[in-house]
Amino acid sequence: MSWIVSGVDREQLLDRLPAISGHFRQLYTRVYSLPQVSAETLELCRLRLAQLHRSDADFALEEFPVSAQQRAQLHDWPQAAVFTPEQRACLEFTEVHAMDCAAITDAQADAVKAHLGEAGLVALLQALGVFDGLIRLGLMWQAAPAGVRQHG
Amino acid sequence: MGSTARVQAPARNTGNVIRDSALGVVPGTLEPYLALNAAVWDAGPLPAAEIELARLRNARHTGCVMCQAVRYDVAISDGLTEEKVQMIGADQPDTSLSPREQLLVAFVDQYNRDPGGIAATLQTDLLQEFSEAELLHLSLLVAWFNGSSRCAVALGGMPEAMPRMEISIPR
Repeated sequence: MSWIVSGVDREQLLDRLPAISGHFRQLYTRVYSLPQVSAETLELCRLRLAQLHRSDADFALEEFPVSAQQRAQLHDWPQAAVFTPEQRACLEFTEVHAMDCAAITDAQADAVKAHLGEAGLVALLQALGVFDGLIRLGLMWQAAPAGVRQHG
Repeated sequence: MGSTARVQAPARNTGNVIRDSALGVVPGTLEPYLALNAAVWDAGPLPAAEIELARLRNARHTGCVMCQAVRYDVAISDGLTEEKVQMIGADQPDTSLSPREQLLVAFVDQYNRDPGGIAATLQTDLLQEFSEAELLHLSLLVAWFNGSSRCAVALGGMPEAMPRMEISIPR
């Protein structure tokens, strides 16, 4: 239950300041349609961020379909065989970005660029920015995202 | 932190610091990015001086040297002083900040350190000092500046130090 406005979810809170949140949402939506990085890879990164932030609601949310196997094994992705080399590079990058963006190594950035190119690295960073931001806002506001459903 | 830039900025000089940066290599996000950045300054109830205080406090958390060196001219015009900027530069902000400014800093610190752990007392204090629209504005601007600041750091090539530089909002 949000402490800012009682009884509303995260989306309803965003709706209360549309002159800014509308642009935030536009950027959030746009990253999923970029040619530089696949929506599936981005969704895995968003889900991993949700796990790192311990946001069960954001992990339950589905912005783009990923396989049930990938969802189930995401917490242990370094040992799981269901992720592509591109996804693994992006997941490693995502984890360090979430904890300390200054700690990202050239090797980790190069691994992403090897699959996505320089523009792909920028696209990934922009996506991580809005994903992390929305997850943090939900936690800060104590307002869950709308549209959450259970995944098998 | 990467000492060399990890992405080559496009070879152009439009005079817009965002378009001319590495962000310019992803045209699909450029317009929404610029629009959001402008909206954060223009479309909410908080004055520019408070937006800038929150931005600078956030930049301290992300370690973005460039973000910390920049001062937006609208905030200076709104009355933000370097003395005030210095007052938010330490781990524990100066106690001579106003109660409202101290709460603003507390919000930014909470967002960065433990967004899920906001204490009931801080919630109450924020609700007493800020309107609903101000709290949403503060939230969205911190989310925005945090993400863009992290992006700047992760792109590498950040110098150890930069001189203070006053700029306008890129549009």
